[in-house]
Amino acid sequence: MADRAMPQPVIAAHEVSKIYNPDSEEQVIALQDIHLDVQAGEFVSLIGPSGCGKSTLLRLIADLIQPTQGDLKINGKTPRDARVDQDYGMVFQSATLLDWRTVQKNIELPLEIMGFSSQERRTRAQAALQLVELEKFGKHYPWQLSGGMQQRVSIARALAFKPSLLLMDEPFGALDEFTRERMNMELLRIWDETDTTIVFVTHSIPEAVFLSNRVVVMSPRPGRITTIVDIDLPYPRVFETREQPRYYEKVTEVRELLRDAHEV
Amino acid sequence: MTDVPYQQNPLHTAPALNRRIMVRLIIPIVLIGLALLSNLTLIMSLSNLAVDDLVLTDSTLGELLIWMAEQSEEEAPPSLLGQYAKTWAEQTNNDILDETLAFTATRQILVGWATVNALLMIAAILGLVTQARWVRVVQLLALISVLAMIFVVPPIDNHLPLIMLTTGALVVALVTTPGPLTKVISFFAVLSIILLLWQTGKALAQSQAYDITLPAQNWAYQTYETLDMALAGLQAGEVDAVITDRNDVRDLAPPFPLPADEETDTESLTYPDLRYLTDLDTHQATLGFLPVVPEFPGRLAVVVPAAHASALTTLDEVFAVRVGTPAGEFADERYLAENRETMLLDLKILNDINLPHLQHIAEALLQPARRNGPFLLVRILSNAALFTWGEAILGFVSGGLLGFVLGTLFAHFAPLERGLLPYVVASQTVPILAIAPMVVIWLGAGPQAVAVISAYLTFFPVTINTLRGLRSPHPNTLELMRSYAASPWAIMWKVRFPAALPYIFTALKVSATASVVGAIIGELPSSMGDGLGRAILDFSSDYSLISTPKLWATILIAASVGILSFLVVSLIEYLIIGRYSQEK
Repeated sequence: MADRAMPQPVIAAHEVSKIYNPDSEEQVIALQDIHLDVQAGEFVSLIGPSGCGKSTLLRLIADLIQPTQGDLKINGKTPRDARVDQDYGMVFQSATLLDWRTVQKNIELPLEIMGFSSQERRTRAQAALQLVELEKFGKHYPWQLSGGMQQRVSIARALAFKPSLLLMDEPFGALDEFTRERMNMELLRIWDETDTTIVFVTHSIPEAVFLSNRVVVMSPRPGRITTIVDIDLPYPRVFETREQPRYYEKVTEVRELLRDAHEV
Repeated sequence: MTDVPYQQNPLHTAPALNRRIMVRLIIPIVLIGLALLSNLTLIMSLSNLAVDDLVLTDSTLGELLIWMAEQSEEEAPPSLLGQYAKTWAEQTNNDILDETLAFTATRQILVGWATVNALLMIAAILGLVTQARWVRVVQLLALISVLAMIFVVPPIDNHLPLIMLTTGALVVALVTTPGPLTKVISFFAVLSIILLLWQTGKALAQSQAYDITLPAQNWAYQTYETLDMALAGLQAGEVDAVITDRNDVRDLAPPFPLPADEETDTESLTYPDLRYLTDLDTHQATLGFLPVVPEFPGRLAVVVPAAHASALTTLDEVFAVRVGTPAGEFADERYLAENRETMLLDLKILNDINLPHLQHIAEALLQPARRNGPFLLVRILSNAALFTWGEAILGFVSGGLLGFVLGTLFAHFAPLERGLLPYVVASQTVPILAIAPMVVIWLGAGPQAVAVISAYLTFFPVTINTLRGLRSPHPNTLELMRSYAASPWAIMWKVRFPAALPYIFTALKVSATASVVGAIIGELPSSMGDGLGRAILDFSSDYSLISTPKLWATILIAASVGILSFLVVSLIEYLIIGRYSQEK
């Protein structure tokens, strides 16, 4: 666990680049010169059109792929060490629950792999289920749950081993608008209760503005950070937050930045 | 039964709708009434039979009792039924089982059986009238019970048609009764229809001498008083071909094509510019794809002008042009003037040798394997089936394991897959019949050789599906496992293997039946006498009225072994993955 008293950032990216097929005809610069510091407890959204490298950046942080150049530190460690130390939890667009495990057993999966005792696993899984308010569904199988409920289980699974960092790759992209807005509120409540740092990839401008401290606007070819917008709306953000003029201003600001980025 | 009873459906509780349900119930009630009537006729007819009537003595039960009577003569009959017959004879103070007693028992059993059926039908009618929830169960029981009688009552007199009528009425009643068609109901409905079609086909074959024909339009042709006038007309262009006796025309015109070996002096013949066709395809003319009878007799010949000789090659083409013939001769009166018929169906396939009565198959099972032998065929075949099944299980297990190991290796080492998979695929294109003798020579004739042949058929589907199944997890799932820093071992057993299980079970279900087929084929070249392969060989080599029912009986037993294997695998599948795959 990261010590929140220390000024050290959770994520520190310095001149990070990712190039696929380097030095060949099909060379693709997925990310170029990324500078990004994420402080403990922050909620940072990555937004941009397809091909801007936001998912690539998330995968670099998760050590699912490795940078071509630059310096990337998670809690002051290399991404690999951070991954092995279970510093982060991950949530994808699809819930990726295992069909043959009950909800409870799905949440216990990372705990099993990390070698927790069965007693500890049950306690932590119960706590995680409580956090996402699904404590009555532990014995259910994934197919018995709605899409939104499955995604909440997947969040509970990511939080079950109490990582300091939560990486979310378009987690609500497949949900309908109503469920998505409810899930946004849920996520803010969970964030508030756990003090986790969240990096959130999304296509939705209102979602990014509603959730985040900062919105990182990215542009494609080559993938890079255009601007980082501070969202100065006060927390706790509630349903009415979406009706405030300041919210509209921020949504418009991000939208215009994205349009400019696309026209370059 | 998982049916939702129709009277529980809230839609049906309204009085207006209730009346509509009653209307829909009339059809099944009338049909079951018809079945009941036919069944009562059967009961009357059965109970009036003389003790030595063929219907009783030739019935499956009667044949069984004759054999039991013979067994009761033995000092110590080796089979259970033989011992029972001896005890029965002793109880009635006889040395051997009295046949009159046995046939009286047969009659009582048959009449009792038919009476139970009648009671079931009455219960079904009452159930329909009161819209009881158990009505479809009773209907199904009645259907199964009546259906079983087809296997017992011989195809003599009107008894079998009565049973078939009852069955038909009960099937339609069951299907038209309001409510969902469940798996069990559909299965038995289809089974009844197949068996009814089987027996109906045999009834048709019997009544129509094995073929069904339709009258076809007769061919138009022109008659001449003499052959010479006909040939003159052909020369004059009045007709395009003349049909006449081959012997008559042989001395008048040269053949076409000319024989190559001898010099024919065409100029010396009366009609050097005509040809009679020797190479004509004189098989049955066809009307579309249906054969038209009667066949073109070999004694006839077709005469055409030499210039057109090569234009006509089939009989069809001859009848497409203008045809002439001398009046009053064979060609005119016995062939061209005869009624043409279109043969719709040749029912030779339905005769008793090719397709025995269902009762004969059941009877074959309950007859001694050899004349007056101590054991019934069903016992011999069951022992053979157990033997073959043992080989098949050995082959299935080893083939399944091999398939799983290969699939797992392929899934983890792509070069291995690229290099070896073509050979695995090629192995399945080689006919098993060609491989089997070699395996028997290599390993010696024995169950282990048969098991290897069975495994050869088993491993392939398992390999392919294991490979597919192990690769089926979503890429995100694998990324997730990587994010947990999971070991390859953990990824295999916590994600890949459980995800592959449904795929593997699908393959195992295919392999379970294939392993039985493989075992039977494997037994043939090893000339082993203990399994079903030998029984099939024995009964198919002697294709006769006695042997074919036994062959069918063996097929029935072999199929049961395959189905049983399939069901066992399905049950294991249900126990292991059934609880989470219920939505699929």
